[in-house]
Amino acid sequence: MSTVDLLRAHAPSAPDHLHRRVLTLRPVERRRRVRPVLVLAVAAAIAVLAAVVHGFSTSSPSSRHTLTLGRVPQVKGVPTWTTADSVGSAGNGALSGTVAQKAFVPAVPSPSPGRLQHTDASITVRVDDLGAMTTRATRIATALGGYAQSVVYRTPQGAGGQSFLELRIPAQYVKQALSQFAGLGVLVSQQISIQDLTTTLERQSAQIAQLHRRIAALQAALRNPALPDAQRVLLQIQLAEAKRALGQRVHGRKGTIAAGVTSRVSLVLTTKKHQAAAPAHRGRLGRMFHSAVGFLAIEGMVALFALIVISPVAVALGLLWFWRRRVTDRLLME
Amino acid sequence: MNAATQTLRLPRAGERPSFDDVVAEQLDGVYRYLVYLTGDRAAAEDLAAETFEKAFRSWRRFDPRRGAPRTWLCSIARGVAVDWFRAETRRRRREEQFTRDEPVAEFGDGLPGPLEAALRELAPGEREVIALRILLDLDGPSVARVLGVSNTACSTRLSRALKRLEELIDDVDR
Repeated sequence: MSTVDLLRAHAPSAPDHLHRRVLTLRPVERRRRVRPVLVLAVAAAIAVLAAVVHGFSTSSPSSRHTLTLGRVPQVKGVPTWTTADSVGSAGNGALSGTVAQKAFVPAVPSPSPGRLQHTDASITVRVDDLGAMTTRATRIATALGGYAQSVVYRTPQGAGGQSFLELRIPAQYVKQALSQFAGLGVLVSQQISIQDLTTTLERQSAQIAQLHRRIAALQAALRNPALPDAQRVLLQIQLAEAKRALGQRVHGRKGTIAAGVTSRVSLVLTTKKHQAAAPAHRGRLGRMFHSAVGFLAIEGMVALFALIVISPVAVALGLLWFWRRRVTDRLLME
Repeated sequence: MNAATQTLRLPRAGERPSFDDVVAEQLDGVYRYLVYLTGDRAAAEDLAAETFEKAFRSWRRFDPRRGAPRTWLCSIARGVAVDWFRAETRRRRREEQFTRDEPVAEFGDGLPGPLEAALRELAPGEREVIALRILLDLDGPSVARVLGVSNTACSTRLSRALKRLEELIDDVDR
């Protein structure tokens, strides 16, 4: 008989008591384990449903902005410009005329009375004559009491070009200035932000007043001839610190006031047609779909981020599993 | 199934067998496998009981379309045995300063002495593949699945184990 036949012929059998022991076992009724594929499918369905709900809720018709066309209101004492102005005629004295509006007026909220506010505006205007309109824009700024902080003028070879103007306009005339800038051509885009500085100013003023009181109290204390030397030195140090802090607060307050008094206008004059896509006139379904796709994209990014975070852990677990397997093999082959 | 008469109704392909049928059919095979793997009959009994206990708990997850019950049970038995090996290794490390009379392993009922002695000299992993292929008569892919290795690696392991067994038998005879 071969070795294999011997092994088969003399194979051990389970003893009877083991049979009885195992037969007394009974399966425990357990709930079905949820399959991972099912969990993933449910998660994907929830993600898509959330995107659809988001798209539905944000697809309601948005209110149309009504833009008014009209003349630029005349401000007394502020010269206006004719469209016939050209480069080189600056400084010759009074200029007269009204600016013809070619497009809608920028929607600038009126400043709140009694409050210090800083206006930051960026507008893009398409013009026919870049050089002339750039000059006119700087003149508008100076006429309103402001100035051009920087002017960058670009005219690549061939037709067209752009100029970038950083202008500072007194706060009370910023609305006026924006209207006149828009009148230089066709208003392509605008962005206006207003920051209220009143609270900051009030806080700085209160700090300054408190520092004044503190300085006065320290000076009064130092005038006492019976003050011990150690105490005098301490008070002098405190007085110096208070004066330094006062100087800082006063400087800061000046900056706040300056920011509120002057508005910043970034003006771009261009001869090129605006390349940005016009807003698509979508129906309700189109807006819902567009919004849902955007939401799904966000969900995808979140999932990708989670994957990036989890992947090192998964790699570590994989290495651990591999190491345990090697240890087991070594254990059984010793 | 009638326990007294031991008549079994063979399940059709893909049909889930009953628990009693599984026990009656597979207990001996699982026990043999564990005896060869551990070299300890008493431990093999306990591990066999534990194997079937685990199998019963996860009986709902067993899919007969994916494999035979014997293969599935041997996979569970192997996991149980590996845990036992780890525990035994730790115990021996703790008790290594004491001499201990290890029980003499008996792998078969009435096996010739040289063969029995040669089997004791084999590593558990070598005995394991012999038990699965020869005693339990599992095919190559099933054994590879239980061991978690490729078919080629499984065949290589078996041939090496049998070759070493023959060499040990020759050494004992001399």
